[in-house]
Amino acid sequence: MTTHRPRFSAKRRSVLKGLGALGLGLTFLPRNSLSAEEKKLNFYNWDTYIGETTLADFEKASGIEVKMDLFADNDELFAKLKAGNPGYDVICPTNDNLERMIKANMVVPLDHAKLPSFSNMDPVFQDAAFDPGRKYSIAYLWGTVGVGYRKSKVEGTVDSWKVLFEEPKYAGRIALLGDAKLVIGSALKYLGHSLNTTDPAILKQVEDLLIAGKKNVKVYADDNGQDLLASGDVDLTMEYNGDILQVMKEDDDISYAVPTQGGEMWQDCLAIPTGAPRPENAHAFINYIMDPQVEAAIADFVQYGTPNAAAKKLMSKEYTENPAIFPPPEVIAKCEPALYLGEDATKLRSEIWTRVQAA
Amino acid sequence: MDSWKVNPRVFWTLFTPGTFWLVLFFLIPLGWLFHDSFSDKISITETQFTGTLANYIRAFDAVYLTIIWKSVWISAVATALCLLTAYPIAFGICFAPAKWKPLLLLLVILPFWINLLIRTYALIAVFRTQGYLNLVLGWVGLGPYEMLYNDGAVIVGLVYVYMPFMVLPLYATIERLDRSFLEASLDLGGSQVQTFFKVTLPLTMPGIVTGIILVFIPCLGSFLTPAMLGGANAIMIGNVIEDQFKAANDWPFGSALSFLLMYVTFGALALRAFLASRSKGVDV
Amino acid sequence: MAQTLKPGSGPLDYGNRTWLKILFAAIFFALYAPIFTLIAFSFNTDKRGVVWRGFTFDNYVKAWNNADLQEAMLNSLTIAFISTIIATILGSMVALVLWRFRFPFKAGYEGVMSLPIVIPEICMGVSLLLFFTNAGMMAWSVSFVWPFNLINIIIAHVAFCFPFVAIVVRSRLVGFNRQLEEASKDLGASEWQTFWNVIVPFMMPGLIAGALLAFTLSLDDFVITYFTSGPETVTFPVKVYSLVRRGVSPEINAASTALIVITVVATVLAMKLQAPDKSGKG
Repeated sequence: MTTHRPRFSAKRRSVLKGLGALGLGLTFLPRNSLSAEEKKLNFYNWDTYIGETTLADFEKASGIEVKMDLFADNDELFAKLKAGNPGYDVICPTNDNLERMIKANMVVPLDHAKLPSFSNMDPVFQDAAFDPGRKYSIAYLWGTVGVGYRKSKVEGTVDSWKVLFEEPKYAGRIALLGDAKLVIGSALKYLGHSLNTTDPAILKQVEDLLIAGKKNVKVYADDNGQDLLASGDVDLTMEYNGDILQVMKEDDDISYAVPTQGGEMWQDCLAIPTGAPRPENAHAFINYIMDPQVEAAIADFVQYGTPNAAAKKLMSKEYTENPAIFPPPEVIAKCEPALYLGEDATKLRSEIWTRVQAA
Repeated sequence: MDSWKVNPRVFWTLFTPGTFWLVLFFLIPLGWLFHDSFSDKISITETQFTGTLANYIRAFDAVYLTIIWKSVWISAVATALCLLTAYPIAFGICFAPAKWKPLLLLLVILPFWINLLIRTYALIAVFRTQGYLNLVLGWVGLGPYEMLYNDGAVIVGLVYVYMPFMVLPLYATIERLDRSFLEASLDLGGSQVQTFFKVTLPLTMPGIVTGIILVFIPCLGSFLTPAMLGGANAIMIGNVIEDQFKAANDWPFGSALSFLLMYVTFGALALRAFLASRSKGVDV
Repeated sequence: MAQTLKPGSGPLDYGNRTWLKILFAAIFFALYAPIFTLIAFSFNTDKRGVVWRGFTFDNYVKAWNNADLQEAMLNSLTIAFISTIIATILGSMVALVLWRFRFPFKAGYEGVMSLPIVIPEICMGVSLLLFFTNAGMMAWSVSFVWPFNLINIIIAHVAFCFPFVAIVVRSRLVGFNRQLEEASKDLGASEWQTFWNVIVPFMMPGLIAGALLAFTLSLDDFVITYFTSGPETVTFPVKVYSLVRRGVSPEINAASTALIVITVVATVLAMKLQAPDKSGKG
């Protein structure tokens, strides 16, 4: 299993320094080749999951008007595009979903000749187990899934998934995410396995663990674990780092940790779906996003980890040294990206998850 | 009721548009999934029709039957509660001063023009452990109680979601209820209670039956309410179906589950229509 | 039930009964308690709207300046208005056919007609996605200008709304006294005049109830809208669900509050403008 270990020491791109986003956009756009395409782009993303002015700046720089359509989760994105692409040019899937789309020919290879800013990326993000050689995608933002908790209600620091899976002390104060992949993956890590394990015997152990631990769980949260934590309904929750970070800013008593067993390290990527009507514009847009200034503005607004080494240099210490965004290297070393495990494995996990919930 | 042959022109004029829409934009699209429900998955995105019944047979696995049974009783309780709360509301509106009726009717519906998710968040804010209800109860020395994340919360949530589906059909039948029947009953010495149960209730039965159908069936398929308000074992059949079309990427099984749900309800409704057409008079 | 009548309240003046008023008020309170919470949070400084942190009008200013939010709201309202009109007409026609005529396989027809109520939303959404994509309507509608690019969504909304209208109107029609219709015809009215002057007024509460139901269903639909929308037609629910990942901001509460307030004010104004003798209608 490939482990991602971002070492943000990477190479310099001094050329880029000092150049504003606007100027850069222009430099990188192969103007004449654009004339064939309408000055438009349909971007499919989560709402507010981009810099506040990124799209307007891009339009100023390139003349291409970006329309952002919205989805709520990866499975919706996949289901919608499964039938065919109704006109999206750039999409933002998470790594395992991207891998599934690659295997189903739902995304097209990128033309790296049109993506000179790719060299701004941290070397660890210039390749990926789920997309070897980054043939189909670039990394957009990344993060982890760990435990958000209320410090005053939890003894010591949280360093093990045990608190969520088998700790009677916190019975009724725990929320898990209502997501088969994350719950089963984290439980696998807790038991010392890779989160991509497909061995039915090990998964049976996970099922037993989850069913036995269910009496302690108050709710399988619908991606609102941070709200439950902030309102005091639970004291411990499985959540995405960025979500907990939002409430940490408003409540000093809340903290986030990735357990030492490691957890899922996810990566949202940008890719071009098959049948995209404006691939030239799509490349121009993806290239623009990888510009350090642009990516820095996005990372600053969204508060997730940037895979862009040049952009990270432009960020404040508050961001770059935040352990909730960039966990310590020894924890990162234990984390893994989820891989697409094939349809049978997906079905097996879905059935386990249904049984756990119905138990 | 006339035979359609009595006035075929009127019959076809009324019959065609709705039927056309239903066939073209509902039944034909549904054909794809019907076809899928007898298919096998052969790749991530493709299915192949094999005439298999495996998807349907899989639905009879104990785990799904448990979930279906749970969905049925939760929906039934929610529907009953909905009827109990909606009837006085509809009744109150119909017997309110005429000038207030439009406003009252609108006020009943207005909360449901707010996005379901936002409404559910608001419901959580009221009922959670440190929420407003517990705050108020705290003033009189009660609580705090854990009110959310259990089956009761799902039922209350469903009542809150599907209330207009009950109020509106009831309103439509209670409004302009022929009051001379009620007067006659009272004049003949019936008490108010007797009048209500022997006259008002039977006369408004069509609305009640419609309301029950419109609440019970969507309750069965609901997925957001159990996911947000239910506890660790809140899963309902709507969640399982949603999961098949999304995370599990198993459209054939999702289709089979959906069609099973439809066959059962279709059967029940057709049976009701058939029985109604045979019994004369009370035709709901 | 109250047996002792207060002076001035006849046996059928249920509207004046204290117990009914109290019950009515209590249910209304329960209905509105979460809504008031939601409105209160539209003035909250807390970004996530979970904990009260302070009073502000900022969310309204932000919502007012948020062009995307307004576009989504406008799309949703447009879809809801158009779908409601079409669905109410289609639904009433179906209700009339079912009420008036006997025809072969009627029970089966009624069963099929209620399928859109029965079907899980996601199943209908996915089937329409497949249909529109394969029929080329998905790509086709994208090329249209607003509001015609909403056509697929409107078609889908009508398809799931009109059976609701039909069933509500039908339950209203059951109570119709056919003698009224005969009387009208005996007095020399044509089929059309009878329909328009006798049947339609009788149907009116059913039509209003059905239309309100259709509007409510359409305005709040997420799943079917999601699967039938093209790349440039974000609706309000789609926006809200997409915000879940990053946190639903109080701006959404502000926009929802504005919708409520505008509707109530418009209704009250409309009532004031109406002549008192007409105001009872509906």
